[in-house]
Amino acid sequence: MISRDTVLRAARSALVVLAAFAIAGVIYQITGYSLGQVFSGTWEGAVSAPGALDSSLRWAVPLLLIALGVTIAFRAGFFNVGAQGQLYAGAIAALLVGVWVKGLPTPIGIVLVVLAGCIGGAIWSLVPGVLRAYLQADEVITTLMMNFIALLLLQWVASGPLKDPAGSGQADQTRSVADHLRLSDATGISLRIVLLAAVATVAVGVLLNRTQFGLRVRVAGRNPTMARWQGVDARHLAVQAFMLSGLLAGLAGAIELLGPGGQLTYGFSPDVGFIGIVIALVGGLRIGGVVIAALFFGGLHAAILYLPIVTNLPSSALDLLNGLVALLITISAVPAIWHRRRRRAAESSALNTDVPRVEVSAAP
Amino acid sequence: MIDFLNIGIQAAIPIMLVTMGGVIAYRAGILHLGLEGLMLIGAFAAVAVTIRTGSVALGVVAAMLVNAVVSLLFWILVDVLRADLYIAGLGLSLTGVGLTSFLLEAIFKTQGAVHAQSGLPSVVGGNRHGLLGLFAGLSVLAWATPVLVFGTWLVLRRTRLGLRVSAVGEYPFAARSAGVNVGAVRCGALVAAGIFCALGGAELALAAINSFGEDMAQGRGYLAVTAVLFGAGHPLGAAVAALFFGLADAVGIESQLSTHHILPVQFILMVPYVLTIVAISISSAIRSRRGAPAVFAELRES
Repeated sequence: MISRDTVLRAARSALVVLAAFAIAGVIYQITGYSLGQVFSGTWEGAVSAPGALDSSLRWAVPLLLIALGVTIAFRAGFFNVGAQGQLYAGAIAALLVGVWVKGLPTPIGIVLVVLAGCIGGAIWSLVPGVLRAYLQADEVITTLMMNFIALLLLQWVASGPLKDPAGSGQADQTRSVADHLRLSDATGISLRIVLLAAVATVAVGVLLNRTQFGLRVRVAGRNPTMARWQGVDARHLAVQAFMLSGLLAGLAGAIELLGPGGQLTYGFSPDVGFIGIVIALVGGLRIGGVVIAALFFGGLHAAILYLPIVTNLPSSALDLLNGLVALLITISAVPAIWHRRRRRAAESSALNTDVPRVEVSAAP
Repeated sequence: MIDFLNIGIQAAIPIMLVTMGGVIAYRAGILHLGLEGLMLIGAFAAVAVTIRTGSVALGVVAAMLVNAVVSLLFWILVDVLRADLYIAGLGLSLTGVGLTSFLLEAIFKTQGAVHAQSGLPSVVGGNRHGLLGLFAGLSVLAWATPVLVFGTWLVLRRTRLGLRVSAVGEYPFAARSAGVNVGAVRCGALVAAGIFCALGGAELALAAINSFGEDMAQGRGYLAVTAVLFGAGHPLGAAVAALFFGLADAVGIESQLSTHHILPVQFILMVPYVLTIVAISISSAIRSRRGAPAVFAELRES
């Protein structure tokens, strides 16, 4: 049974995405691109062209994993915007192990590399988590800074210690992991990767909706004071939420390495971390919503790479679209005027609460 | 050494201008993560209008106007429509990257960069020796920067307006009861921030290279955010931090040219970010011990 709440949330997200499409559409039209061509090109690149669905899935997987991690952190009330850095940290850790485990049997090697990715991401996220839990350091700032540090670390790894000996002098690329460790060919999608993502999704779903941890996260995210009264150790919870969040981004990093890449390139998948955050928000911080949103944005990402081939539309056109969705997604459905009437009700951001704003506005 | 400092100053000026914008917003209680996007939009507008009109002055003015309008829209998003400050700020930055790269291709039919026929005039020509070499090739805008920094400090710290801005930033509830129009102050602060970003973008694009390239801000807007935090919102402190970041950038450029490395350049470039994390942690630990209210509380939670 789908609740009214779910329908309203979905409608709100759909409205935001449509609004972003409309604004972007106006910009495309003004600059002389045919809207029909753009949208048919997007459809082809995401769905109907040969290999398009594979490509959409290939991008949906890292986006989904990152968005799931963001969902855990946001639900617990922590603004982890460090997914990009955690992705890089996970990928770097996976690479270190991947280069090292060459001699081991394939299954053990793969498990070790994936685990390394998870741990790398978790550690990268643990730093802001601990600083937040014990020193109240604003996690937005610290996670943002950790992103830049990870990017520089990746550049160092790719141009220094693990530089691809066969690569050209120009592009910073790392050495490759052994072929037998790879989870997919260059298309970046395989049954194993899809299964891995599915297992992670189910695990996060169970964790958030069926366990004590999930309950604590929800209570703490909605009302930290109440959580404290109920005996939730806020510090432990913060550290756990950050770790899990980073772990999922790190897993995405390991999959990027073992799947499509086989090696790491400086600045690979640049906007994935941030779009993962947008997906978590578009999905309303619910597992089902996040999965749908991840598939949608995965399709858009695939289309970004396809569009310049078939139309003269540059791929930046869809960066613009993603940016617009990000700008609009956290608008509360209730304008501030209404809040003033209610003497600025205690909360307003759609992020701080599980209760959809739409529903509140329906009340007299 | 003089050459090195000259490179450092040239790298620091755009960051410093954007940092001043960030400081103004910070004072009004807004940690502005959209600086990167505004810097790019400003740079693009400055170059595009300069190319079309042939006048650099018009280009700079146009950039300021465009950024004022974009900032006004951003204010509507975060203050009137209550979008989340951080997500919308990051969204603005992504939109800025996407929009400018898109327009670059849509208008100028090129993927890399467009060149303007002229740039900001420089006061002391290049290739000077001695102490003048320190200032060689600096644009008029660069010469104006210390004045702008000092002016920002003067307005924010020594005038009633500045006090009002700080009141809105630190305790909006009290400001409101004292009759300050909180929304208008935030709006003004964001527009001022946008205009400073336009200047920073114009300086970045038109000071030495006279061109706009895709995603040319390269994280300088975020570096400005870092400088704001590192200077704890004080204009002069933040300006010093921006100068330091510019010099770190010069170290980066220098060490790419030389072959003997003491330390990989990436680790030098990490310093600003690591220091910011340390500084934020220390200051929040002190704050929470004193029981002071968290910064940026209202726009995020009210």
